[in-house]
Amino acid sequence: MDLRVPSGWFFTILGLILLGMGVFAPETRAALTTVNVNLYSGACMLVFGLFLLLLAWRATRSHT
Amino acid sequence: MKLAPVDYVILVLYFAFVLGIGWRLRKGISSSGDFLTSGRSVPIWITSLAFIAANLGAVELIGMAASGAKYGIMTAHFYWLGAIPAMLFMGIFMMPFYYGSKARSVPEYLKMRFDEKTRAFNAFSFAIMTILASGISMYALGLLLQLVLGWSFTISVLASAAIVLAYTFLGGLTSAIYNEVLQFLLIVMGFAPLAILAVAKAGGWQGMVSRLPPNMVHAWRYMGSPTENPMGVELFGMIAGLGFVLSFGYWCTNFLVVQRAMAADSMSAARRTPLVGTLPKMILPFIVIMPGIAALVLSKMNLGYAFPLKATGGPDYDQALTTLMAQFYPAGMLGVGLTGLMASFMSGMAGNVTAFNTVFTYDIYQSYIRPGAPDRHYLTVGRVTTVVGVLLSIGAAYLATRYNNLMDLLQLVFGVVNAPLFATFLLGMFWKRATAHGAFAGLSIGTAAALFTLSSTVAEGKGGWIAHLYTFPSQMAQNFWIAIVAFTTCLVISMVVSMVTSPRPDKEMEGLVYGLTKLPSDDAAKWYQRPAPLTVLVVVLLLILNIWFR
Repeated sequence: MDLRVPSGWFFTILGLILLGMGVFAPETRAALTTVNVNLYSGACMLVFGLFLLLLAWRATRSHT
Repeated sequence: MKLAPVDYVILVLYFAFVLGIGWRLRKGISSSGDFLTSGRSVPIWITSLAFIAANLGAVELIGMAASGAKYGIMTAHFYWLGAIPAMLFMGIFMMPFYYGSKARSVPEYLKMRFDEKTRAFNAFSFAIMTILASGISMYALGLLLQLVLGWSFTISVLASAAIVLAYTFLGGLTSAIYNEVLQFLLIVMGFAPLAILAVAKAGGWQGMVSRLPPNMVHAWRYMGSPTENPMGVELFGMIAGLGFVLSFGYWCTNFLVVQRAMAADSMSAARRTPLVGTLPKMILPFIVIMPGIAALVLSKMNLGYAFPLKATGGPDYDQALTTLMAQFYPAGMLGVGLTGLMASFMSGMAGNVTAFNTVFTYDIYQSYIRPGAPDRHYLTVGRVTTVVGVLLSIGAAYLATRYNNLMDLLQLVFGVVNAPLFATFLLGMFWKRATAHGAFAGLSIGTAAALFTLSSTVAEGKGGWIAHLYTFPSQMAQNFWIAIVAFTTCLVISMVVSMVTSPRPDKEMEGLVYGLTKLPSDDAAKWYQRPAPLTVLVVVLLLILNIWFR
């Protein structure tokens, strides 16, 4: 098993959930910050997840 | 702190992935070696991250933030002075003997190099220690979840233990290691935003420097005298005690972490595992210690943020991380942070359980209870031991709820028992004249010396049960000096006894000791696959960090 595949999917899904929260519920804020934490963290996680999936995909392609 | 439905969704999503990884890996298990040592087949980037993740349990995560609030940037010495030089030493100098000897565990190496009694000493003390360590971390997690979320102690302890048991039982060490990597990534992704938000709110590093006393924001400047720095330690105790004995003892001889490097797929990868691991390890203080320091600053800024108080009075720094999460994370990210906390607990506990089942199966069961059985039998024993290990940890967690002080004490004692071991390994690997009797005498007398120092000196009201010979300025200083005494005693006694006992023939020690082992050559490898350039890079980065935060 290539660990990059499950890790990639995990962070992609997590990123989408957070991004969704950041876009559709932008008023959800914590007490000490005005930053839309979900939006930025979600975007980072989505990019990270897709990056892992890309690496895993490239690895399978070079094998076959 | 109140959780929203989305937070529970994230928590469940994570559990599903963890169990899914275990389920997928179950097919790869056909021998005890597959289950207990991963059949030496794990890729290097995975072993490197698992190497540091196994040490990043919930107690460490919560404790490092708490130490950041209590001691300031000096806490980073655990990383930049302690762990990283030790990991470099382990990869460059010790791994050739561990991996090359084909030993399946650290106690087994001791048996090959010395004899049965040294192995037994190490195997039994290690087995007891891992169970207690995982019980204590389970206790800490259950207590925190109860305090912060109002979850039932019993349910959170049993549920998280059941998940760890499920994936380690299914996929063995490989499953534990693969999940440790996912856990590590999640801890970084889940806590890095918190560090950034908290530090930014506290005015950035410059703002923190201006709001805190100078001895909280300098790692080296106030080390001259124990009265000037918050840890109450002086330069020699810090460098020799923490930087040398304790860190090298932990990172070079503790099977919990060594096991991860031993699972690598080649000698070259095994050597590079701790070396590559130093790079993320170096960054960790920014994620685990900085939030603690920032929390201290925020508590002085009239923002409405304060540390909760302990029952005995005084701020409860152990809640620094969770209170920051409640203040900075909205529903959604809060779930990620909480999941990260659970993940750290699981990686720590799975690390303990997988190290325990290997040492028990190979070094206790196969050596003393039933040798010579077919391999299938040991695979079953390994599986059963996994279940027993988890049950014993749960027992230890409940023991901790009852006898809180007893656990505190045991942790103190075990910290001490580990200290002399590094001297035994140093002599075993680099001095072929060291004999089995020498090693055993050194180890037992070194351990006794450690226990004697602990019980005859006092620090912060602890210790001094049989005599009161000396008072240390802090418990930290006491720990460091006990380690120094234990190491020196073990070294000297081992050398003296070795000289008067008959040496072992060279032929029997090939591959086990320096001078009788063909060291791996890496001339053909690319530069980034060779240990030397990697080490130079790490040392330069380490110097920059230490100078920056001096």
